[in-house]
Amino acid sequence: MARIVGIDLGTTNSLVAYTDAQTGQPKCIPGPYGSTLCPSIVSLDPDGCVIVGEPARRRLLTQPERTIYSVKRLMGRGPADIQDELKLFPFRIDPSSKNVIRVRLGEKVFTPPEISAFILRELKNWAEAYFGETVDRVVITVPAYFNDAQRQATKDAGRIVGLEVLRLVNEPTAAALAYGLHEKQRGRVAVYDLGGGTFDISVLKLISTSDGDIYQVLSTNGDTHLGGDDIDNLLQSFIHELVLQHDEIDFSPHGELAQELRKALITVKHQLSESETATLRFSLPNGTVFVHEFTRGALEALIHPVVDRTVGPVKQALADARLKPADIEEVVLVGGATRTPLVRRTVQEFFGRKPHTELNPDEVVALGAAVQANILDRGVKRVLLLDVTPLSLGIETYGGAVAKIIPRNSTIPASAQELYTTGVDNQTGIDIHVLQGERELAKDCRSLARFNLRVPPAPAGLPRIEVKFLIDANGILQVAAKDLRTGDQHSIEVQPSYGINDSEIERMLEESIEYAEQDFAERQVIEARTEAESILTATAKALASPQAAGLSAEERAGIDASVAALKESVAGKDYKLIRKRIDELNRATEHLAELLMNSAVSTALEGRKLAEV
Amino acid sequence: MSTASTSTNPPLVCWNCHERTVGTHFCPSCGKLLQSPQAVDYFALFEMPRKLWIEMSGLEQRFLQLSWKLHPDNFVNASEQERELSLKRSSELNDAYRTLRDPVARVEYLLGIEGTRKEGEHKQQAPPELLEEVFELNESLDELREAKASGGDLAALKSRLESAEKHFQEKLGEVDAQLQSAAKEWDAALEGDAATRKKTMARLNDLLNRRSYIRNLVTNVQKELL
Repeated sequence: MARIVGIDLGTTNSLVAYTDAQTGQPKCIPGPYGSTLCPSIVSLDPDGCVIVGEPARRRLLTQPERTIYSVKRLMGRGPADIQDELKLFPFRIDPSSKNVIRVRLGEKVFTPPEISAFILRELKNWAEAYFGETVDRVVITVPAYFNDAQRQATKDAGRIVGLEVLRLVNEPTAAALAYGLHEKQRGRVAVYDLGGGTFDISVLKLISTSDGDIYQVLSTNGDTHLGGDDIDNLLQSFIHELVLQHDEIDFSPHGELAQELRKALITVKHQLSESETATLRFSLPNGTVFVHEFTRGALEALIHPVVDRTVGPVKQALADARLKPADIEEVVLVGGATRTPLVRRTVQEFFGRKPHTELNPDEVVALGAAVQANILDRGVKRVLLLDVTPLSLGIETYGGAVAKIIPRNSTIPASAQELYTTGVDNQTGIDIHVLQGERELAKDCRSLARFNLRVPPAPAGLPRIEVKFLIDANGILQVAAKDLRTGDQHSIEVQPSYGINDSEIERMLEESIEYAEQDFAERQVIEARTEAESILTATAKALASPQAAGLSAEERAGIDASVAALKESVAGKDYKLIRKRIDELNRATEHLAELLMNSAVSTALEGRKLAEV
Repeated sequence: MSTASTSTNPPLVCWNCHERTVGTHFCPSCGKLLQSPQAVDYFALFEMPRKLWIEMSGLEQRFLQLSWKLHPDNFVNASEQERELSLKRSSELNDAYRTLRDPVARVEYLLGIEGTRKEGEHKQQAPPELLEEVFELNESLDELREAKASGGDLAALKSRLESAEKHFQEKLGEVDAQLQSAAKEWDAALEGDAATRKKTMARLNDLLNRRSYIRNLVTNVQKELL
């Protein structure tokens, strides 16, 4: 019997979890590198192999033009939507992008759902290796504030890898489920979920009934483009400015320099969650090392605006639930960015109570997805989730105004009917434009779909067509029409404004098979090659720096020989040999590393590897 | 429906066992989820009389009970037909709960199914006794817009509008109170004669129109004050 799993498809990391049949407890599945976190990074090897996760992360430095991170930011969006993102993220958008964005990785282009599909396939492989059985069905989590197009794109990603997506579950709801099971919580709960790229706040009521426990979402709000990424961007532009002033070096978001800096800054950011000070050390192309001392206070002053942006949605969610902060009995923190002390303080001050952080904020969403997967699979009727639609659904009326037909925070599934007729004799169609959002004008809302309702010729006003708009349990819109005079049902082909159609998905499903999955040995080769590339790059850079003059001729010759030997081994497929040559080059460059370190800081750190300097 | 007895659906034929059934949600013969009736009646769905006073905790409990039974989660492994039915029926349940728990939407819905809801013929027309105040309000709004455009002093205009907003909020409160008492009249007249019921419905309808007019005023003022 094929297995079912829950997947948290995150902006920064993705995870896969299942529910243990014996204990009934959810558990995250570790990947081949021991961690349960799979970095949401995808790289396309020149030989056509797709690399996902940890090895792809290293290639951000060595092959940035073939590697992509934070693709979730692009899901369900059109080219016009993402101009701001392009200033900050190294997305290579292909000019062929029309309704759907196409991203370039090396010589190929992919849609965001295809790239997400590679991540899903990787996690599916993790789970199948763990169980020794196939996995064919999945529950995937999405930010609660995702709109219809973003949800549809996520579901498409599942279809592209041939997974049946049984349900999309909102991330904060999933987290509440995991916590509820863990803590046996009851009452009104607020879930504050600040992830890598998205922010959600959900207010829930946990109710015990004779049938079982109900998790009723009362309201939700958020920002699908607010998260830890934005903190990193702020830090990055802050350092860019400093470097620009001192050393006149410009960073574009593309290229390895920006990626190296980003990596170093993320480390500093994490250190500052634990300690009061941290030092950024960063080699510049001109051979100097840029050093900056951060204090936690300085970091907080810098990132304050990002954290403050979460407060508006929190207030709105409470107002929509008709509650005050004091009415909330428990607050739960979810998402890696909630490890930031400033975030914790902000939440604690707002609600006047200490938030729950007992469960790993990186894992809790995936655990909740696994619980829901188990409920759906086995018909465990002890728990029921009643979620809501985050955005109002409307239709365009005269003058570009929007008539709201399903208000935000309606429990889903939800529906609304509208009656249409014709204005002139023998009119053959009626244009319908469906939108999502809270604004009053169509141009300020999100266009979901436009379609033409076909009407049989008749005198004006005689046709009576009822159009039913239904938001299903995944938060995805379905439309059906009924001719009230004849009783005929019309199925309506709704072409989403930003999305891929069914035939494209079929094609992608076939193509995805072409992008070979690597077996274990191949993975090892790619891993070793990636590491080799990064040490070769670092060596070349170090040799070009002024400090390299401190090497003896003998040392220099030794390095050159080791470089040549490593390059030769990289051409082959013997990963053990590549590893051996990497070690040799590391030994040959020990003195060079010291020379570089000496010029940077007065204390020499012996035995450091060149790639770490 | 002229008595206070529970609002019920006409009998259906079960799509599965073809028995005629008077069940509301599940077929008493074969236990399958039933199709929804041609015209869904939210009161019938909750097996309640068409009364405007509803005990909220009872409504919520009934909603949660029915959610357990109708939610698509329960039909993941069922046939496609049943999955579709569950989606339809649970969306109707949620629509019904959303409508009935809101006192204003509830009146509007009731008048709709009784066939007596008539929106104001001239929606933009002010109720006569409010005419003067509305005129003043619109003048203040215009002045504020002009002042905003020309960079004039806003403080005085804003405070005038704020007190106007408060005034119309109070009016809204009055209409809500009137709606409530008219709703009680409706519940009392449920067993009574047709003429009284008709009169009550007309009054409810007028109050709804009046409420929606004032509600729009308040929203417009709030928008300008932001």
